[in-house]
Amino acid sequence: MIHCYKNNGYNIVMDVNSGSVHVVDDIVYDLVPLLEPAVREKKTEDEMLDLAVQQGFSYATEDMKEAIGEILALAEAEMLYTEDIYENYIDSFKTRETVVKALCLHIAHDCNLACKYCFAEEGEYHGRRAMMSFEVGQKALDFLVANSGNRINLEVDFFGGEPLMNWQVVKDLVAYGRSLEKEHNKKFRFTLTTNGVLLNDDILEFANREMSNIVLSIDGRKEVHDMMRPHRGGQGSYDEIVPKFIKVAESRNQMDYYVRGTFTHHNLDFSKDVLHLADLGFKQISVEPVVAENTADYAIREEDLPMLMKQYDELALEMIRRRKEGKGFNFFHFMIDLEGGPCVAKRLSGCGSGTEYLAVTPWGDFYPCHQFVGNEDFLLGNVYEGITAEHICNEFKQCNVYAKESCKDCFAKFYCSGGCAANAYNFTGQITGAYDIGCQLQKKRVECAIMIKAALSDEEE
Amino acid sequence: MKHIKTLSTRDLKKSMKKGGCGECQTSCQSACKTSCTVGNQSCENVK
Repeated sequence: MIHCYKNNGYNIVMDVNSGSVHVVDDIVYDLVPLLEPAVREKKTEDEMLDLAVQQGFSYATEDMKEAIGEILALAEAEMLYTEDIYENYIDSFKTRETVVKALCLHIAHDCNLACKYCFAEEGEYHGRRAMMSFEVGQKALDFLVANSGNRINLEVDFFGGEPLMNWQVVKDLVAYGRSLEKEHNKKFRFTLTTNGVLLNDDILEFANREMSNIVLSIDGRKEVHDMMRPHRGGQGSYDEIVPKFIKVAESRNQMDYYVRGTFTHHNLDFSKDVLHLADLGFKQISVEPVVAENTADYAIREEDLPMLMKQYDELALEMIRRRKEGKGFNFFHFMIDLEGGPCVAKRLSGCGSGTEYLAVTPWGDFYPCHQFVGNEDFLLGNVYEGITAEHICNEFKQCNVYAKESCKDCFAKFYCSGGCAANAYNFTGQITGAYDIGCQLQKKRVECAIMIKAALSDEEE
Repeated sequence: MKHIKTLSTRDLKKSMKKGGCGECQTSCQSACKTSCTVGNQSCENVK
């Protein structure tokens, strides 16, 4: 499978199944799709040239011959027109014994903000306000260690609601986790996700010592942030959190953190929010589209897509410009690791929700991920009894790109891994469905990310 | 090549042989909590 597109003056050919990416001139760009069947049928170079002439290509014959030669060399090297040979491989990979390697601990089902788009409904997740006790958290970490097989690195995210509302338990659980590491040959990587309201120097000092990653929730421009992330009384939260977040970023040497925002129908010009965060000095930025029911006034709609696509293009151009000026920053959704990225097993097997990754409620129930919390149909078990609904875990285990009809012919499947199961379920009623708006945005982001790589590789030469 | 510049990429087919160790980060543990993004992650074994 190939995917050809033009962006920012670059002609890009992705050979989807090998992962190869080629930046090509106009002749090759025109020839690559035309020659795909001819190469498969092993036509001669002269026959291919005839085909191009029949198509009315007006390039000089010598140039076309040369281009055909280069295309054939790539095909020979299995870097173009590569077949998909992964389906059986992934089936056997998915049926293997899996281990749990990551937990999202819902430390607090309560929040000191009332963000309008919160899928946790002000922290309560369609349920009751509650704090996780140390005992429940301890049981969760014990479960993780016991079910993680030979895996060394274990990830634990302190999530909410707002986890700083139950900070002592976070600290105690970190200490407990560390006490398990040596005996069990494990290494915990803790992450804290916070809205920043309760953040102070003591918390920061602890977090910098113990947290591999900190996710700081901020949406961008003050008016955008304050509109969607107010306190319960309605007043905005931007002014109180920005100085703290700047301090966090600087104290971590601008690494191992993200400022993470959500854009909605109300700020479709979200590239301005990303750039606002960059202008504040943040180097690690993630701003993602809201996921909301169609009835919400802030939901992203089909008709918003052209504007959003333009925004991604504009952001990509500005990022290249800033990078060349030495003022670069990372935008999470444009980060792509072409050389050191994940193996094909990881790429095709999905995010791991319900199998390698579980969410734990304050009272110890397991769900496939934080987005399923509160939906009783997806209750998997609890920290006391372990997994009791194996059949649901098996459904998640089988959920990979080959189980999803719309992924089969999609060029982005190796980059998104079939997308988010929760989004798929919420929009189609099936975890093997696809959330179309999400897919379209994902594809655009992959195209932009690769174009940025092409532009920066030009620079390096 | 005169007409084609190939960016350096990991050969996915070759990654079948050594891949699948599972030591890599879980997608949602990084920054995204509402979208699955895998391509931007790094393999623990090629760091």
